[in-house]
Order: sequence, then structure tokens, then C-alpha cells
Amino acid sequence: MQPAADFDTIPRMPLDEPISRRVFLRRGALVSAAILAGAPGVPWIPGSGDADAAIMGIGQELEDILNLETCNRILAEALARGGTFADLFAEQRFTTRIVLDDGKLESVTYGYPRGAGVRVLHRHQTGYAFSDEIAFASLLDAARVASTVVENQSPVTPIDVTKRALSAPFTLTSPVPLMAEPAKFALVRSMDAAARAVDPRIASVRVEYSDEVRDVLVATSEGTLSVDRQYLLAIRCVPIAVDGTMRRSGFGAVGGRVDEAYLRQRTPATVAREAAEQALILLQAGPAPAGTMPVVIGPGWGGVLIHESLGHAVEGDGIRRQTSLLTGKKGAAIGSPLLRVVDDARIPHGRGSYAVDDEGTPSRKTVLVDRGVLQSYLLDRQSASMLGGAPTGNGRRESYRSRPLPRMSNTYIDRGTSDPESLLSGITKGFYAAMLGGGSVDTTSGNFNFAVREGYWIENGAITRPARGAVLIGNSLETLRGLEGVGSDLYVEHARGTCGKDGQRVPVGVGQPTVRFASITVGGTET
Amino acid sequence: MATLSPQEILERVRNLAQRSGAAEAEAYMEIANITEARVRQGEVEYLTQSAMQGVGVRVFVDSKVGFSFTTDMRPTVLDELVRRTIILAGENAPRDENRLPDEQPAPISDLEIYDEAVAGLRTADLIALARKSEDHAFATDKRVQSTRLAHAGAAVGEVHFTNSFIPYQSFRTTTCWGGVSAIATDGTTKREGSFEDRRRSLLDLNTPERIGRKAAERAVAGLGGAPIPTTTAPVLFEAEAAGRFLAGLVPALSAANVLEQRSFIADKVNQPIASRLLTIVDDGLLRRGLGTRPFDGEGVQQRRSILVDRGRLVKFLQTATTARRMNTRLTGNAFRTYRSLPEAGPTNLYIEPGSSTLDKMISTTARGLLVTGIAGFGIDTVAGGYSQQVVGRWIEKGTLGAAVEGVTIAGNLTEMLLGIDAVGRDLEYRDTVCAPSIRFRELTIAGT
Repeated sequence: MQPAADFDTIPRMPLDEPISRRVFLRRGALVSAAILAGAPGVPWIPGSGDADAAIMGIGQELEDILNLETCNRILAEALARGGTFADLFAEQRFTTRIVLDDGKLESVTYGYPRGAGVRVLHRHQTGYAFSDEIAFASLLDAARVASTVVENQSPVTPIDVTKRALSAPFTLTSPVPLMAEPAKFALVRSMDAAARAVDPRIASVRVEYSDEVRDVLVATSEGTLSVDRQYLLAIRCVPIAVDGTMRRSGFGAVGGRVDEAYLRQRTPATVAREAAEQALILLQAGPAPAGTMPVVIGPGWGGVLIHESLGHAVEGDGIRRQTSLLTGKKGAAIGSPLLRVVDDARIPHGRGSYAVDDEGTPSRKTVLVDRGVLQSYLLDRQSASMLGGAPTGNGRRESYRSRPLPRMSNTYIDRGTSDPESLLSGITKGFYAAMLGGGSVDTTSGNFNFAVREGYWIENGAITRPARGAVLIGNSLETLRGLEGVGSDLYVEHARGTCGKDGQRVPVGVGQPTVRFASITVGGTET
Repeated sequence: MATLSPQEILERVRNLAQRSGAAEAEAYMEIANITEARVRQGEVEYLTQSAMQGVGVRVFVDSKVGFSFTTDMRPTVLDELVRRTIILAGENAPRDENRLPDEQPAPISDLEIYDEAVAGLRTADLIALARKSEDHAFATDKRVQSTRLAHAGAAVGEVHFTNSFIPYQSFRTTTCWGGVSAIATDGTTKREGSFEDRRRSLLDLNTPERIGRKAAERAVAGLGGAPIPTTTAPVLFEAEAAGRFLAGLVPALSAANVLEQRSFIADKVNQPIASRLLTIVDDGLLRRGLGTRPFDGEGVQQRRSILVDRGRLVKFLQTATTARRMNTRLTGNAFRTYRSLPEAGPTNLYIEPGSSTLDKMISTTARGLLVTGIAGFGIDTVAGGYSQQVVGRWIEKGTLGAAVEGVTIAGNLTEMLLGIDAVGRDLEYRDTVCAPSIRFRELTIAGT
């Protein structure tokens, strides 16, 4: 039941800089040594579809099914036995998934899941029930079931709901999920072609495209009605390099809450090439070191470290239950003075961005740690009301089948002042993690881990040889106190990051500049 | 609103797909009723009770695959989805092997995957079960005075199925579960220990006493844990940790991954890939098994397959398409939900019990590590590498010593499997993938 973020590695997207391909540190030289043939550019074909209309062909506007009066009556039923708060959450998703393998478009999947749930809160207690049918009668039933969590209380009258305007964190001119299918197929094919063109040793490429349009409606007993539409894209590319009996996989991903213009700057073909290059580098990789040593972690997805080591421990449910090791630590120094950590649900294109959370609280930016001092927890309504304070807009759920929990949005270590290259200096023997895999944490002990997909030995202040995959582990507080250097090259990853907690998976962003830690345990084999 | 029965829904979409240009069509529906109660410090924290349903439609058009799913059972929505799926399937690449399976399922006698006692559980029963488990955690050790949660739940599931060749059929399952996440403290540090049991039948479910006690014991065992110096040594896995290790190997056994060079054992059929002590079985017919069912996700009858026989790799997990591509027999391993296309996955996958016991393995280990928990991602089934965070106990001269945490273990999967030198008798079917305790001859342990 421990939280875990998964998915595999890399690319880095800037938080507030123009998008550009960056080859970090010495990787450029290693790549050219590994590659036999250059890769021709594969043009991206823009779409021209009118898919929005097509979506409406199946779906209905949620507000048309659940008008204000319907919402009021369902919320009144939810609080008929008492309770401190109730909400109604309705959702419909239009999803497209395309899989390419073995050079062939294998399958296309359309999804149209929809439903609604009713939640009743009474202090620390939660009742939740949902229906796959968005209809008055079934939601009235759900409200009755959810209300049974409250015992021996008087009915509470909810405030009549009024729709409120949301402040969108950014606007998309032509969201990728609305592109016509042939254009989506073209994106997928361009990644396959680009990865294969890198080198004849790229023996296999799998591309998984998935997008969604997610409509949500949240009506609360406090009288708010929020309606939002959220677009999300993720394209993952896994090339396999084969040399004799050796097989190595690369990983690349592109996406986020993005439009067509974004993909013209960060092209899927570039991402696929980088993934193929990674697989080739790994063919040359030797054993990773075993033991505790200085570790430098590359920008972007490297932020999975802060997601695991700090982010989960500041989530309000663990704080109110006093199971998190950061319980009662607000205002305390918990890390190096160089450490500043932010959770921001309003980053343009961020995988974890939204205008409103899944319990109707507008999104915002929250500084979690400043100069090493813990500033704030991440709170949903329930943990906020129990701890005293306002919700931070972090109440998120996987779908209408789940209740909200305090969750991260886009979480990153803020930029520092060091030149990334300078962070290597003075390290006699250490490890450079260029690209990470997934990780997990035990928030009670603070022990966390994350996998390294692409790593290198650091010897005498320089990156020397590539190393095979290894897990890096540490203890949150010890590790964060040992933060010795923070680069100026902040990136927040938009393309990947799915955080699992309590059986619920939500898309998140993570990020960081290049950072250096005094001591992390590297789980290699060379002693 | 729609009041069509599952059979009417499935036959409607199958027939419409066939009329609209699909050479073959398949419809798969799941319905589940789930109730769960969570308790903390004796008080109810969370109650949920819901019914869910969903349908998935797979079509084959000119040997091309299309798929769609929805939870919205309105006939107009179903019809529109089917039509779109057929049009979109046309964009895909054809593959001769893209067809429904040739086999038809035969009736199977009682698999005992449905228990009336589970279906009859009420919210109050589940609250009582969770409370009792939590109480037992507190009673086990006075260092356990709080929990993250104690929970208990019950689910009744139905699968409905038809395709162009197989008439409508269905089966029902039940699942019940209980678990505790206990927090132990020694005054300065806290450690969490969890134990969850999940079964088809209420009679099989661990007692609240055992659930609470195991969670408390695990939490207390973690107190005072510390890293050890980096070394190489034999490493023993307790049964539950061994099961999680085995689950990490499953992608290497998927035929689709083998075909696309994504398995480190892709070219090892009929060769030794593990110690002779290791036999791995996938048994879709295991009575009361969590992965047991009469037919798989594409209607293929279940069976028992030996995947690794005394160390020798015998076969991979197949779907109808991969079995044709490899020119081999079906294994009944098409795993799916209504939301996904069938992909190769285990039914009940386990390592056959051996002749040793955990106690004997410990007593015959001069110095080594007993792993009681593993965390995170660390198994690379493409390259064959292994590196993972673990917790456990140090073994010195055949005796359990200090608690260990903050270490990793690492090795090469091929060498690890060949180096298994003991397999225990303590297999319990508590998950769809499970194993008895095992011992690896030597791994690198990274610590201080």
C-alpha cells in the first residue's frame, strides 16, 4: 500500500524556457560513439479533424444531465443524516489508445467511461458511493449509501449550488486529443521510423499513444459548481537494441496537456531518437557501483526523487493520521538551505496541471520548502478541516469510482545558481544518474528508492563510463540535508509520471535542475 | 434508461459489429459489486459500496484489430462505438494471425470461485472484521499503538462473454480481503508493517487474529533497522517477498515480449534458465485460486501449464495471436479487463514447493541476509538485470540477528536463477503470483 510513481524515464522539458533539445553533460560524445548511422528527420503531419463535434456525438454535456436543481437534491439527500460536507462528482472521458509494435499499427482503442459519485464527510469519516450511470435515481441511491457513514446526527441543509467561473492555468489552441485519427497515427509512425533509423541494432520498437479528454463536474454542499474540461496526451516509445545475446531497452516519452504547436517544437521523432540512443548507450554499459557515495542526478524526470522523498510525506492524510515522518515539522529545517520545493498545478502543459481539483477547489502554486524549511502541507478538504487551514487544491482522484485524496500536482525542486557541469567537481568516486525510472517511498520511515535507467560512473570529477541499471535508495531527511548543489537548469517533465497511492493512479509532473547529494546508496554490483 | 440484460447487450454489439463489416467480433462485460470498510483506532473512517459495469468490444476487420469500451450502456452509445471501432480498425496494419482463437471452451466442473458466504457479507460484518484485526494488532505488541488503517472488503464479480463462434456465457466470482497497516514506535522512530490477505472464499481468509498479528510483527521487526557494510552474501527471500520477485519476472514469460526481443530469456526455450530446484507452474484451474476462471479473456478454456520444469524453460504465456505467430499451442493466458485488449498474463502462477523450510535455510546459512520486504522497481526483464531496495534481518552463523534496512541487493537475473540453492515448502496461494521461500547463493548487498 505504499505510494509509487512508475513509468520509465527521460526527456526534459523546460519550465519557462523555449523548448529545445538539450544534450546534458557528456552524453553527446557517448551517443556519437554508439551510433553508426544518422537519423533523417521525420516530418510531423498536422491534423485537420473536427473531433470535438464527434465527441459530442456520443457524449453529453454533464451540465445538461445534472442541472442545478438535480445537484441540489442529490446533495440534500447526501446530508439527510448529517455530515460536515458533501459533494457530487461527475466525469466522462473520451480516450484513444494506439499501439504500434513490430513496425505495425497493432490496435486502436476507443474508450468512453463515465459515471458519478457522491461523498459525505463527517470529520475524519468518509462515505462514498458511485454509479456508472449518470442519472438522478441512481445518484440519489449513491447519496443514501454514502450518508450511512454518519450516525446519530441531524440533517444538514446544503447551500444551493451556483456555477462559478474557473481561471484556466493556460489555454490550448488545438489540443492534440482533438486531432483527427490519421494525424495521431502519423505521430506514432514517425516515432517508429525515427527510432529505427538511428542504428541497425534497434531491433524492435513499441510505441504506445494515449490521449484523453476529461470532463468533470463538481457540485459541493458549500454551494459551488465547477465544470472543467482537461486534455492529456502521453506517447511512450520503447526501442530495443540487440547485440548478439545482449538486449537493452531505451525509453522516451512526449506529451502533457499540449497542443499541436507544442509537438512541432518537441517533436515525437526527436524523442524516439533519444530513446534509441539510450538503448545503444546501455549496450556499452558495465556494472554500476555498489555502496554509498556522492550522487548527481540529471534534470527533469530526476524530480521523481523529490516526489518520493518529500512530496508524499507532506500529503495531508499522512499528517493528520500522524503516520508521516514530517508530522508537526512545519516551520522546521528539514533539508539543506539550498532546497526549495514547489507544487504547482498551474504550469503550462503540466501533466499534473488543472484549473480546479477533483473536489472543487481552484488550483494554485504552493511552496512546500523554502531555504530548507518546511512551509506547507498538501491538503484536501478533509485534511485541511482536521488540521486547520484552507485546502491547497490538491484533492485529486483517479476517476468517479474513487474518493479524492491529497495528491501532488507538478512537484519540483526549484532552480539554483550552479552551472550543472560544476556539480561534478571534487567527486573522486560517485554516480551520475542521467535518467531515472520509477520510485516508491515508505512515508513512515522516509526510506525511498528509485530506479536508474541510464547512469554513469563519476571518477575524479568527470563522467567516465556508462553503468547498467541500478536502484538508488536513501532516507528522506538524511538525503535532503545532504543536498550540496543545485543547478540552474530547471526542467519540469510533462510527458510522464503516474503516481499510485491507495490503489488510485493520477497523472503528475515532476521536475528539478541538476542536483548533487552528498551520499546516496547505489545498488550496483561492483564493490 | 437502458434495461438490457448483459446477454442482450453482448449479442447486440457482436451482431452489429458483424453486420457492419467485422469478419469476427467479441464482446466482453464485467460487473462488480464492491463493499469496503476502513477502520482506524477503532473508528470507522471510510465506507464505500458501489456497483460497476463495463463492456469492451473487439473487432477483426480484414485481419486488423479495433477495440472500444464504455461504462455507458445506452444502446445508441454502444451502436455508435461499434461503428467507429470498425472504421478505425481499418487504419491498422493487417496480420494474418489476428483472428479469434480456434478453440471453444468446454464446461468445467466447479472451480469454487464463488462463495455465498462472501456474497452475503454486509457492511457491518466488514467493519467488525476490520476492527477485530486492528485490535489484534494492538494486542500483539505494546509498541503498536496506532495504525494507518485496518480494512476489510468483499466483491462479487461477473464476467459475460460471447464472440462470433462462442455463444453467450458467463461466470461469477467472489473475493474477500482483510488487512492492517500497523505503526510501531520505540519512542524515537516509527515503522509501518502491513499484512493483507485476499481470498475467494471466506473460509480461506486468514483470521483477524493472524492478520493483526502479522502486521504488528512486521512493524515491530522494522524498529532499529540499520544498513550493513557493502558485501556479497547468500540472500534468502521469505515467501511473500519471493512471490513479489516472481511477479517481477512475469513480463519475461510473455510471448508478445519474447517475439519483440523484450525478454532476457527470449531464445532459451528448452534450455536451463534456472536451478533444477525451480519449477514454475501457471494453473488456471487451481480450486479457489484468485486467478482461476473457466475461460480466459478471449474465451479459451483454462488449463495447467508447466512453464519452467526443473530449471528448463518449457513455454511462454500466450494469447491467440501470439500462439499463432510462434506456431505453438494456446495456454489460456489472455488476461484483460473490459477496458483493455487481451494481453498475456498469469492465471495462478507459482513456484512449486520444494523440500526445504525457511528455518532450515536460515540455520544452514553461515552469513547472509533474510529479505522480508522488497520495495520499488528493480527487475529489468529485457536486459536481465536486478537491483532492489529490501528490508530484513542479518543472519550470522545460522541465527537471525539485527534488523536491516537501507540496503539494496543486486545481481544478474540469469545467474540468480541458476544459483537458487533452496526452495521451501511454505507456498500459500495468497495472490495470483506466489512462491515459497527461496535462497539465492550469492548477491551483492549495497549498504554503507
